[in-house]
Formats: sequence, C-alpha cells, structure tokens
Amino acid sequence: MDQSEPSPPIRVMVVDDHPLWRDAVERDLAGAGLDVVAVAANGREALARFPAARPGVVVLDLQIPAPDGIAVTAEFVRQDPAVRVLVLSASGEQADVLAAVKAGATGYLVKSASREELLTAVRRVAQGDPVFTPGLAGLVLGEFQRISDTPRSDPAEPRLTERETEVLKMVAKGMSYRQIAERLVISHRTVQNHVQSTLGKLQMHNRVELTRYAIERGLDTD
Amino acid sequence: MESRLFGALAVVRVVVLLDAVVVTIVRAGSLPHPAASVACAVVMTAWTGFATWAYVQPRRRTFLLLAADLALALALLLVTPLVKGADFRATVPSYWIVGALIAWAIHFRWVGGFGAGVLLATVDLVQRQHLQQSDYGNAFLLVLAGSIVGFLCESLQRMAAERDVAERAAAMAAERARLARVVHDGVLQVLALVQRRGRELGGEAAELGRLAGDQERELRRLIQAQDTVVIETGMVDVAAQLAVLERRQGVTVSTPGFPVELPAATAHELVAAARACLDNVRVHVGEDSPAWVLLQAHPDRVELSVRDDGPGIPSGRLEEAAAAGRLGVSESIRGRITDLGGTAELVTGSFGTEWEFVVPRSAPTNL
Repeated sequence: MDQSEPSPPIRVMVVDDHPLWRDAVERDLAGAGLDVVAVAANGREALARFPAARPGVVVLDLQIPAPDGIAVTAEFVRQDPAVRVLVLSASGEQADVLAAVKAGATGYLVKSASREELLTAVRRVAQGDPVFTPGLAGLVLGEFQRISDTPRSDPAEPRLTERETEVLKMVAKGMSYRQIAERLVISHRTVQNHVQSTLGKLQMHNRVELTRYAIERGLDTD
Repeated sequence: MESRLFGALAVVRVVVLLDAVVVTIVRAGSLPHPAASVACAVVMTAWTGFATWAYVQPRRRTFLLLAADLALALALLLVTPLVKGADFRATVPSYWIVGALIAWAIHFRWVGGFGAGVLLATVDLVQRQHLQQSDYGNAFLLVLAGSIVGFLCESLQRMAAERDVAERAAAMAAERARLARVVHDGVLQVLALVQRRGRELGGEAAELGRLAGDQERELRRLIQAQDTVVIETGMVDVAAQLAVLERRQGVTVSTPGFPVELPAATAHELVAAARACLDNVRVHVGEDSPAWVLLQAHPDRVELSVRDDGPGIPSGRLEEAAAAGRLGVSESIRGRITDLGGTAELVTGSFGTEWEFVVPRSAPTNL
C-alpha cells in the first residue's frame, strides 16, 4: 500500500441501466483520474464487453435488465477471479445484496453515497480491500448465525473464528477499521485481513451449498 | 388428476382380470359349462383391453362408457347361475367387478361409488340360494369401498383445485412485488441522484438534496418493512420495527437478513430502549450525529447494540447522578431491559458510547 509509488490508473467498468446515473458515476470517476474502460446498460452488454475491457473494478448496479447483477457478478468472478465488483444499489434490498456478496462481490454501497465515498470505495476495492457497510456486516453476521444454527451443517463447513466475529460485529456497529484496530490493539492490516477472510468464507460456504444442492438433486451425475 | 386415478385403475383392472381368468382355468374341469366360462373370460379380457384404452382420454369418459362398464359387470353377475349352476359360490367375474365400481367412484364421486356398489351388491345377493355370512360381508365391502373411494377422489380433486388457486395467488403476489421493486428502484435512483448532485452544488440545491435524502430513506425503510410478514399472532419481527429508526438523520440500523420474531411486548420494549439511547445521543453528541444500531439473533436470545461516535460519558458522571438520587436516562434504559429478563451493559470511551442489550427470546415468566 505504498501511496508514493506512481501506479497506473484503476481500470473501471460502470454497469447501470439509468443513463443519468451512469454518466454521473462515469464523470466522477474520470474526474478523479480513474480510467473508465467500459460502460454497459444491462447484463448482456456487461457480459459482452467485459472480456475485452479487462477492468480491475466493476461498479455494478444490481437491478439491471437480465441477466441481473447477481448473475453478472458470478460470471465476472468466474472469468477473472482477480476482478473486484463493487455493488451499488438504490434499494439496498437485503437478499439481493447478500446474494451478490455470496456470488463474489467485494463491496457494497448505497447509491446515495457521496462522490467521495464512492471514490474511496473504488480505490479500496481495487486494492483488494472489502468495502463493508454496517448494514452489510449485519447481514453477513446473520448469515453465519443462520449457518451455525442449521443442525445438519457439517464440521468441514467454514465458520467464523471468534476474532472474525468480533471484528465483523464492530464493522456492523459502524466502527472504522482504524477504530477497530485501536480498540482490539491489532494492526489496521490485521483488521482488513479478518474482514477479507470473512467474505472468503461466505463465498466458500456459498460454493459448498451449491455443490451440495447439485449432489442432492443428482446434477453431478452426468 | 382424474387421469392419474384412471391410470392406476387400469393396473387394478389387469390384476383382477388375471385373478378371474386364472380361477376360470383352474376350475374349468369341475364347471358344468366350461365353454360358457371360457367365453365369459374372453369377454372380460376384451372389455378390460377396451376399457384401458377408452379411459385414457378424458373426452371418451362419457356416461355411455361408464354405463356400459357397469352393465357388463352386472350382466356377468346375472349369468353366473346359468354358467356355474344355481348353487354357485363365487360369481363368474369375481373381483373383476371392482373395475367398474372404482371407475364410477372416480368419475361420479361418492354418489357414483355408492350407487354402483349398491347395484352390484344387490344383484350378487339376490341370485344366491343360500346366503352366507361372507356373501353379506363382500356385498357390504363393495358398497363401503365404492363410497370411500368416491369420497377420497372428491377430496383429492378439491385439494388440487385449492392448490392451483393458492399457487396462482402466490405467483401474482410475487409478480406484484417484482413490479413494485422495479418502480421503487427507479424512484430511489432519482432520489439518490438528486441528493448527490444537490450536495455537490450546495446552496438551495443542497436543501433539495437533503429533502430527497429523507424521502429516499423513508422509501427504503418501507420496502424493507413490506418484505416482512407477521406469521404468528402475538409475535412481531423486531428487525422490521428497528428499521423504522433509520428515519432519523444519521442513524444506521443493521439486522440479519431474516425476520427476528419476538413477543410483541418484548419487541416494543427493545425498540423503545433503542429509541431512548438514540435520544440520548442527540442530547449529548448532537443533532444528526451518526449512530449505529445492530441487532443479532441467536436461537435463545437477541443482542441489540446502540453505538455513537461521540466523546463518551466522562467517568464518574453516572455515579454522581445516581448518588444524588437522580435516576438518569441510563437507569431507565437499564430498567426496561432488566424487566425483560435481560442484561444491559454500557461501555464508554474514546471510541464513543455503546449500549449492549442481551434479551432472552422467550417471554419473561415473572411478569
């Protein structure tokens, strides 16, 4: 995270079906010196333009004409595991946001976030740093609670460590990484690692669930 | 549905036919008119084949077909004394007649099953010279089986119809919700944009932006509340109730993605306690200062925390107030939670002030 090193501008793709909004985001990003390599108005366009554009970060609206943002996220991450997807959602529908994160999105912002918040979020996800809102942290906490309450869950399934739960709880209570680091007397980097591994476990659990679903339905036998 | 039942009946018909044919062949030697018996078996076989084909298509299931089905069964019963002698024990068609009986039960419900049962039983009984206990029992079973099968068919049909209605209603509700989402999303997009641009332009536009922001929060809260449904009476989703608190400027509410059901009274007290904490934030930290509410649901308890980013409560102030006999806000908050059988903990420091409530999910018994 050496800020003094001159690095090439972040390559960003903006996917949103509202032209006004897409233009505003594009202008903000370009104005801040980021490289907007592609825009798309729907899922199909997004999937078609993604391979050639090779963005490092995708700023993605979840509610776009089919395929929706969740499917697009899953496909992007499948094609390029290094891509970072930052979800922007107007409605903040909990189920959708959680599904997008499970599909591989690494950040989430409500659309009313300010220009500065958006830029910070794009820069942070570009560095591989997950952008959690307190609301998203609450959802993820609830999801892990649900997993551990399910009686048939097997020991191989990913669980959060006590420390990870603690950190996630603090994120959900609105504490910044810096505040968390101070309170737990750990480094800022360690806090980031905990949050990152939480997301990783959630995505892994999603894959385990999908695989088990496939096996139960006999989809793997052909 | 009826087609499935007739499909099953086709199998039954073959089984009872085999039974009748095998009996005829085995007994052929001891029968007074073997040729007539074989002829009857041939008729039954032919009709079984025809009936299996005929009942496949719903449009072929006419009254004529069912009447012919039953008439043939009755006719075979009637010829029994001629074929097997007046003192016969088993009738010529034997169990084969249940094919017609069940067909009537399926198609004309319990009335059909009962009617066909009575007819078959009567014809069977009146021809016998010596009525035995088992003959009466068989006749009784015919009537009973016809009625019951008919009744069950009717129930099945009704349940299928009800299920269709429920499925259609659910599909319509889901479609309505989807449309609402699309509309809401569009409105939210615009509100968010106005808010964002307004903030950047400043001045009067900033005021417009702020108003848009209020409406945006309100609409988002409504959408989240709409997704939660009250399932059991007396239980409410405390997550949805807490979401209302986001209406206040600066407040963020985080909850699990699923409804958290609590007895209505408990939920009410929890929300009231959270609201009191937020009021306190306004007084001690400032209007519009940020605050965060987090709800966590465990199987046996819920945990609710309210945190602000303020300077914290100076040490000793709470004790001073208590010593002076003033029951401060913090004591009233604590009281609410302990009344619910829970615990309230207050942590304060440079990181702000944080309340943490732990409340059991079952209703307190001592109240």
